Amino acid sequence: MSSKDIPAIDPRAPIILEMNHISKTFGAVTALVDVSIKLRQGEVLALVGDNGAGKSTLIKILSGFHRPDSGTIIYQGKEVRFYSPREARAHGVETVYQDLALINHLSVYHNMFVGREYHKWILGLKLLDNKKMRDLARAYLDTLGIQIPSVDSLVDLLSGGQRQSVAVARSIYSSPTILVLDEPLAALGVREGAHVLGLIQNLRRQRSVSIILIVHNYNQVFEVCDRINFLHSGEVVLDASTSETSEEQLIRIVKSGLGREAIAAAAAEIGNAM
Amino acid sequence: MARTTPTSQQVRKVGIKAPEGGFEKVLMVLSRYREASIAVVAVVLVIYFQISNPAFLSSQELSVVLRDTARFGMIAVAQVMLMITGEIDLSVGSTFSLAPYVMVLMTISWGVPLAISALAGILLGVLIGLINGLITVRFRVPSLITTVGTLFLLQGVVVSIYNSQPIVAPVQEPFNAIFGENLYSPTDSLWSWHGLTAFSPFLWTVAVVLAMALVLNRTTFGLHTIATGSNIIGAKEIGIRTDRIKIYNFMIAGGLAAAAGVINTVEFASADPLAGGPFLTLQAVAAAVIGGTSLLGGSGTPIGALVGAFVVATLNNGLVMMGAQATVSDIYLGAAIVLAMILNVQVDRMRARRRI
Repeated sequence: MSSKDIPAIDPRAPIILEMNHISKTFGAVTALVDVSIKLRQGEVLALVGDNGAGKSTLIKILSGFHRPDSGTIIYQGKEVRFYSPREARAHGVETVYQDLALINHLSVYHNMFVGREYHKWILGLKLLDNKKMRDLARAYLDTLGIQIPSVDSLVDLLSGGQRQSVAVARSIYSSPTILVLDEPLAALGVREGAHVLGLIQNLRRQRSVSIILIVHNYNQVFEVCDRINFLHSGEVVLDASTSETSEEQLIRIVKSGLGREAIAAAAAEIGNAM
Repeated sequence: MARTTPTSQQVRKVGIKAPEGGFEKVLMVLSRYREASIAVVAVVLVIYFQISNPAFLSSQELSVVLRDTARFGMIAVAQVMLMITGEIDLSVGSTFSLAPYVMVLMTISWGVPLAISALAGILLGVLIGLINGLITVRFRVPSLITTVGTLFLLQGVVVSIYNSQPIVAPVQEPFNAIFGENLYSPTDSLWSWHGLTAFSPFLWTVAVVLAMALVLNRTTFGLHTIATGSNIIGAKEIGIRTDRIKIYNFMIAGGLAAAAGVINTVEFASADPLAGGPFLTLQAVAAAVIGGTSLLGGSGTPIGALVGAFVVATLNNGLVMMGAQATVSDIYLGAAIVLAMILNVQVDRMRARRRI
C-alpha cells in the first residue's frame, strides 16, 4: 500500500484544531517557543523531532496533561482549555501514550472496555456483561483488520505490534475527533511496525478521524501522513506536505541540519516553510 | 518505496509462542489454574494425615480444621483483594481482636443487643480500613508501613481497654448459634441443625469467599481492582480512580477482619485482646500467598486463598495430631510460604518474558 492509493487531503477540508503561539517553560527549561500547528478534518500530521524538541510537551498540552504558559487552542472552531486528560477525552481527543496503558493481567476484550464497561443485571446484581464486550471487541478488531489469537488472551501474551494495535483500537472505538499516537513505532520491529502503519493508513483512507503522530524519524511514516512538521529546540522549523515534497528532498533538508540557513533554503525549495 | 501491509501469514508468526519444554508447560498450566495446583497440595496433605492418623477425617477433627480454615480464610480473602491492588494490610490481626472486644463491651455495659453491637464492631473495622487507606493513598506512605503502625497502635488500644483481660462473651440466641457457636455433640447427626453449627464459621467464610470471587471476576469494581494493581499509571490514564479503588479495598479488609473476629469471639464465648495479633495476620498472608496470590499486584484468587487457608490449618492441626510439637508445624508452614512465593514469582516472570 503506498500513499499514491490515497488522494491528498482536500485543502478545503475544515480545520479541526489550531494550536496558536504555544509557549511552555518548566522552571529553567524552555520546552516550547511560540509553536503553532494546525490540523484538518481527516488529516494525518506527523510531528518529527529529536529528543527534547518539544513534541511530547505539545501533545501533553493538547491532551490536558500540561497547561501552556501562553497561546491558544482552537478546537472545532472554539477556544478550549483542557484541564485534565479526562476532559480532553470527553471532548473527543484520545491519546495513545507510549506505555499504551494496557492492563497486562486482563484479557484483550476487558482492556478494550475497561473504564466503560457494559453491564447486565442478574438477581439484582450489576455484573459485567462479558459476552457482549467479548463479541463487540471481536467484531471491532475484525473490522479494523487487527489479527490477534483471541480476544480472550491476556494482552500480556500479545506481541508488541498487537499490543499497539489493541491500544489504538481501544482509542478509536469511541469515535474520537482527534487521535494522538505518541511514538507508535518506538518499541516495534519492522514487521510489527508495518502492521501498525497499515492500521493508520486504513484510518486515513476513511478520513473520519484526524491523527497526530509523534515520531523520531519522518521516513518511518512518510507514506501514511499528509503533512510533516519538524520541531527543533521548541520551534516548528518546517511544515512540509507529503504530496508536494518528495522524500528525497526532505532527506536533503534534514541532512543539512535544520538550521536557520537550511530552512531558508528549504523554504525557497518547497515554498511553505514557517 | 511502497510499504506492504503484512499478510495474514506474516501476522500469524507474531504472537504467542507455543511453550517449548515440559517445565514451561507445567508453569503455563500453573499460571492458568493456580487454585487447582494448590488444591492438589491440599488433597495430598489430607491423604497423608489420614494415613498417619485415621482420626484425622473424623467430624470432630475436621470441625477444628475447618474452624481454623475459616479464621485464616476470611482474613486471607480480604488480603487477596488488597494484594491485587498492590497493597497489604498487616493491621487485620489487631482489628480481629479490637472489633469483638468493642462488641462485647457495648453489650455488657450498655445492654445493646449483640446483633447491633456486632454490626458496630464490623463498622469499626471498616473505619480502620478507611483510615489505613487514606494514610496510604493521601500521604503516600507504603501500606506495609502504615499498617504495621496501625497493627501495633490498635493492639495497644485493645490491650489497654481492660488491662488485657479476656471478657466472657454474652450469649443471645439465635445470634450465637448462627455466627459460630458450636452446638454439636457426638450424639448429634452431622446433618442436623446442631451438626451444621459445627461448621458454621467455615460456611460463613465460604460464602464470603464466593462473594469476593464474584466481585473480583464479574464486576466493574473487580476489573478496576485488577487494573489498579497491574498497571497503576495506565489505569489512571484510562480514567480509573485508583486511589478510591485502593481505599475501598482497605475498607473491605478491615470489615472482613472485624467480622472474622466477631465469629471467633462467639465461637469461643470470649473476647480475648490477644486473639489476633501479628501472628494471625501473617498466617492469613501466608494463606493468600500459598493460594497463588502475588505480592506484586494484579493477580490473585479468593478461592485460592481459601484453599491456602485450609493448607495452613491442616499443617497446624495435622502435625499436632501426629504428636509433633506445635512449633514444628511452623517449619513446614515457613517452607511452604517460601516455596509458594518462588513459584508465584517464577510464573509471573515467565509471563513477563512472554514465554508462556
